[in-house]
Amino acid sequence: MSLPTVLVLALLTAFPLGFTIFYSFTNFNMLKPKAIKYIKFDNYLKILADPYFQQALGNTLKFMVLAVVIETLFGLLVALLINSLGSGQKVLRTLILLPVILPPVTVALIWRIMLSNNYGIFNQILTSLGAAQVNWLNDVNTAFYCILAIDVWQYMPFAFLLIYASLQSVPVSQYEAAQIDGANAIQVFLFVTLPNILSGIVLVVLLRSIDSIRLFDKVNILTRGGPANTTATITQYIYNYGVGNYKIGFSSAGSIVMTLMVLVISLPYIKQAFKRN
Amino acid sequence: MKKSVVLSLLLLFVFVLAPVSAQEPTTLTIAARGGSHVDAMNAVKAEFEAANNVKIEILGLEAADLKQKIGLDSLNATGELDLFMIDDPWMPEFAENELMANLTELGYVEDEDFLAASRAIGKEPYGEGDVYALPFSGNVMLFFYNKALFDAKSLEVPTDWATVLEIAKEFTADGTIGYVIRGQQGNPIVSDFLPILWAFGGDVFDADWNVTINSEEAKAALELYIELLNNGANYEKNDIVAAVSDGNAAMSLGWPSWYISGETANAAYAPIPGKRDADAEVNGSGMIGNWMMAVTANSANKELALEFLKFVTSAESQKIGAEVGGVPTRASVLSDPELVAKYAYFPTLMDGTNNSVVRPRTALWSNVETALGAELSSAISGVKTVEQALTDATTAIEAAMAE
Repeated sequence: MSLPTVLVLALLTAFPLGFTIFYSFTNFNMLKPKAIKYIKFDNYLKILADPYFQQALGNTLKFMVLAVVIETLFGLLVALLINSLGSGQKVLRTLILLPVILPPVTVALIWRIMLSNNYGIFNQILTSLGAAQVNWLNDVNTAFYCILAIDVWQYMPFAFLLIYASLQSVPVSQYEAAQIDGANAIQVFLFVTLPNILSGIVLVVLLRSIDSIRLFDKVNILTRGGPANTTATITQYIYNYGVGNYKIGFSSAGSIVMTLMVLVISLPYIKQAFKRN
Repeated sequence: MKKSVVLSLLLLFVFVLAPVSAQEPTTLTIAARGGSHVDAMNAVKAEFEAANNVKIEILGLEAADLKQKIGLDSLNATGELDLFMIDDPWMPEFAENELMANLTELGYVEDEDFLAASRAIGKEPYGEGDVYALPFSGNVMLFFYNKALFDAKSLEVPTDWATVLEIAKEFTADGTIGYVIRGQQGNPIVSDFLPILWAFGGDVFDADWNVTINSEEAKAALELYIELLNNGANYEKNDIVAAVSDGNAAMSLGWPSWYISGETANAAYAPIPGKRDADAEVNGSGMIGNWMMAVTANSANKELALEFLKFVTSAESQKIGAEVGGVPTRASVLSDPELVAKYAYFPTLMDGTNNSVVRPRTALWSNVETALGAELSSAISGVKTVEQALTDATTAIEAAMAE
């Protein structure tokens, strides 16, 4: 019975992964297929020693931590707020989810217009208040945080959705028992709500961590990794130095490094999931 | 008797003539940069299709997708593509990897009506070898300025960079953005800086491919670039065009298509200053950026594709294409009095192209551009000093070229 599943998995996951691992140990260039050569760990050593990669790695990790923490906290707050409403939950729920439905490219283009120096709404507001304009995407002090804010705007609703779903499944009887025991709002949250929604929060952290590491579209459209590499990410590095130049071997090694990072991050969760099962 | 003649004629039609008249047309597939290039081809292709029983299919793609598509198709023994467009810096890489058919070997005779600078790009080795691609769309960077702002101060169009800086300072003192740089990391900042570097007599490489980006000329050029930023702003393309067009900023560099659409130009234009200061010698400074077109090396229809290539780059086709945004590459079209009356920028474009500079002809240019773009960005952001940025750029470019 499990054969079809195994076959589908093999085709869709194991086969491409196997090829990526294989190519990562070669100098494979798409334009020079006949010159393919086994080069041991050269691609990996080159990537890890490259200061541009190190900077991209640092940026990616910083982005991941900040994005996941902020998105999860905001998602939790909004979910608690919406869940506490007596009416209007459906309308608000739908409205909040709108950004997450948009493709990242569309989101990046919308924000590029809003952050524009000439006609962007943020600089128009600053000008009308008599403040100096800010070069949001070209300033080393603001570019990274602009990308972060855009990502939070887009994916906080995703965190909200998962946490809200968890909140819906908290048994009402537990709240009633806490009320009878005289628990205050903070105690109810810490000892009733939080334990019940913890698995949902962990799932949000896991999924957002994996997705944040893959950040590409927004960076590529809004800053191209600049200024001064302050918004460069691992995927952008792979694209700039590998895929864009047909260097499939090099790109594959970069992708494997990224996959290993994702695995390390998700390993505790996967272990827990296996234990539960 | 009559019946048998009619029957014979019918049989002749059914078995001989009908198959000929109903013969499926050959399909030529072109991978093109989307936008006005596709419009220019669509405007003329019907004539070629009718005359050659051929169907022309054009795939309009974004530049990065186009490059990927060409690379992927080159892996096939017989390609899906018959022709493709090439951004001129890609030429060395495509030639080195034999992605293009040798047009000279296919019997193509060089046409001297194409501007020499554009023609040279299509040859391998550059400027002297066989022809591999023909110039499809002309482009050269120009100097753009707001005429009303200049007229209000009775300023002349500057011909050297020291004067550009002086004018920028003058406007800044009055509260107007003097000069707008396009300082985004990667291709934008490299394209924006190279004309100034060349005007100062510097370059990325010398004739022997030694990296020379750390030269005195390069340092002086980058210092001036930062001074221009200090007396102006760092915007992305759309903001640059809006700022100069609306009179919020006085000057910038740019590609003609940013400001000029058909018969209207949103800003005045001139060739890019080629001198460091008034007393310095003039250097070529306008970056050429032609879109070329080639026949794929693995096309099953090379001869027919070459015929279409000649047709679509002919003077007649370029005249029709100009009506829908195409930019000619032929001297006869760019100097055609009727067209010049309509498209006043054609003579400036031709002068700019004749005095243009081509980006270094190396298959590794995109790696070089990425490395140089990152360091230039660091310098204008103040993260690194000019010296440090150019030293690091030298190291990074040498590493890129060592591959």
